[in-house]
Amino acid sequence: MKRRGKFPWFAYLVVILGGVAMVMPFLDMVMSSFKGPGEYGVIPYKLLPSSFNLDNYRDAFSQLELGRLFRNSVIVTVSVTVSVLVTSSMAGYALAKLRFRGRAVIFRFILATMMLPPFLLLIPTFLIMLNWPLAGGNDILGRGGDGGLTTSLISLILPFAVSGFGIFLMRQFMVSLPDEMLEAAKIDGANQWQTWRLIVLPQTKPVAITLGLITFIGAWNEYIWTLLISSSDPDLQTLPVGIQLLQSFLDPDRTMPIVMAGLVISTLPVLVVFLLFQKYYVRGVVLSGLK
Amino acid sequence: MTTAVSRVGAVAAPARRVGKLHREGPAAYLFLSPALLFFCVFLILPFIFAIVLAFSDWGGFDLSTLKWAGFSNFGDVLSFDGTFVKPILVNTLLFAFGSVFLATFGSVLVAYCIDRLSFQGFWRVLYFLPVVATVVAIGNVWKMMYQPAGLINAVLNKLGVNSVGFLSDSSYALPSVTVVHAWASIGGAVLILTAGLKAIPEMYYEAAEVDGANSWHMFWSITLPLLRPALLFVLITQFIGGLQSFALIIVMTGDGGPVNATNVAAFEMYQRAFKFGAWGTASAMAMVLFVIILAITLLQLWIARRRGEETS
Repeated sequence: MKRRGKFPWFAYLVVILGGVAMVMPFLDMVMSSFKGPGEYGVIPYKLLPSSFNLDNYRDAFSQLELGRLFRNSVIVTVSVTVSVLVTSSMAGYALAKLRFRGRAVIFRFILATMMLPPFLLLIPTFLIMLNWPLAGGNDILGRGGDGGLTTSLISLILPFAVSGFGIFLMRQFMVSLPDEMLEAAKIDGANQWQTWRLIVLPQTKPVAITLGLITFIGAWNEYIWTLLISSSDPDLQTLPVGIQLLQSFLDPDRTMPIVMAGLVISTLPVLVVFLLFQKYYVRGVVLSGLK
Repeated sequence: MTTAVSRVGAVAAPARRVGKLHREGPAAYLFLSPALLFFCVFLILPFIFAIVLAFSDWGGFDLSTLKWAGFSNFGDVLSFDGTFVKPILVNTLLFAFGSVFLATFGSVLVAYCIDRLSFQGFWRVLYFLPVVATVVAIGNVWKMMYQPAGLINAVLNKLGVNSVGFLSDSSYALPSVTVVHAWASIGGAVLILTAGLKAIPEMYYEAAEVDGANSWHMFWSITLPLLRPALLFVLITQFIGGLQSFALIIVMTGDGGPVNATNVAAFEMYQRAFKFGAWGTASAMAMVLFVIILAITLLQLWIARRRGEETS
């Protein structure tokens, strides 16, 4: 592919200029996170801080209660990812390998779920969580309590626990698994559950990594829903929401470097996970383009 | 003898399949049950609820106080003396069209150029970084760079241009936010377009080279037409994303300011519902935006299909 055309210098120019535009904001974020008092927000602008001391990182941990935010983020992200992986591989197996009445209809329904934009369901989903029966003091009809499920971390997990895209991805992958393997398991006396657990699941490792990664990054970065749920209960804040809210009530020039330190810390885990598995992530995005 | 056996087999096979259908049915529904239950509670129920709310008058709390309001919510929302049609819907469309245009143009150019370089994986990861970062990081970093004492104004001043109040000047605020949204969506589009580029058979280019076509010709008459399916997917998903996204706007401007200059439909819906408890009006706004998204998506599919028929 490389030798086509006579202007690779032009391609290099475009890609490098664009690459600088992609990286510059992140560089500015890291550099600002080291800037001391009086160094940030002054003219003339300097990219480099005068020294690389870690004061802002220490302040981020104490002022932001970064430990608490981190814990919430980890609980929510891990729960959502595990749940999506389990439910997607179960439903995907049924749709790919089991024969039953209604299979085509259910598959088409799963595809349709991906078309509904999330903002449309934002208001009713919030009201459903608020009026969840027998939660947060609610009675069996979901009335009377104060907050329902919205006072618990469950409300940050449950609405993301199943993914139509995940089911679709798993189904597409499992269709190509050889039927003979499943037949052999059946002849050996395995029931459907054992076949799924012991034969199918180990085979789906590559697509499970792809789906796990996409879900992990999405859940880690989720913002709007968490902002809404935690607005009445700050104990439920995750990293993005907690960091964003810090700077709104304090002097921005003073807090921005601390916010940047917090953002560096919150971006690092996803960045590391992404770089380790980027091959799988890239394939997932490409697969999603083929639906 | 052999024919008899195979005939028996032929008769037995469909019978076995029917038997299997019954045997596998319960297991299949057990495997599907978590997903189906989820979609009932978090998709079908809220969808119906969203439609009901858009047509009712409701103060919140008790569902028994819900009153049928006909189309009055829609009347309120779409009346021309309100703020929803102008500037909010206009902003939404400008934001979506602007960012889709910039991101598509940018990603086609970048994907086409990367395809010619070494270390393609490295370049693609570089452009994908913003997709991995949280919107809070992206929004705050750009807000910082847009400030009077920020990086971008420093560069402008070096070039002899006066400082610009990117987020404080109401005529610059919306374009400034649009650019950031486009910047953040280029990476995903580059990946999909790359897959499209790789699928174009090399022999087309070889044939064109023999005919003496230059790279510009090849791009227009081979790459672009054959890239159309990938391009259509990118356009549709970017439009759907651009029309409903408001996280970046919350982070960068807080309240859609200055004076509604960066307010968009989904954000207005969010504010009306959760700040003012105007559930009916907010749900009507959501419906209007949903219909707009649906219409723009169908329009793109229709145009693509008509074009496809003309060329083939």
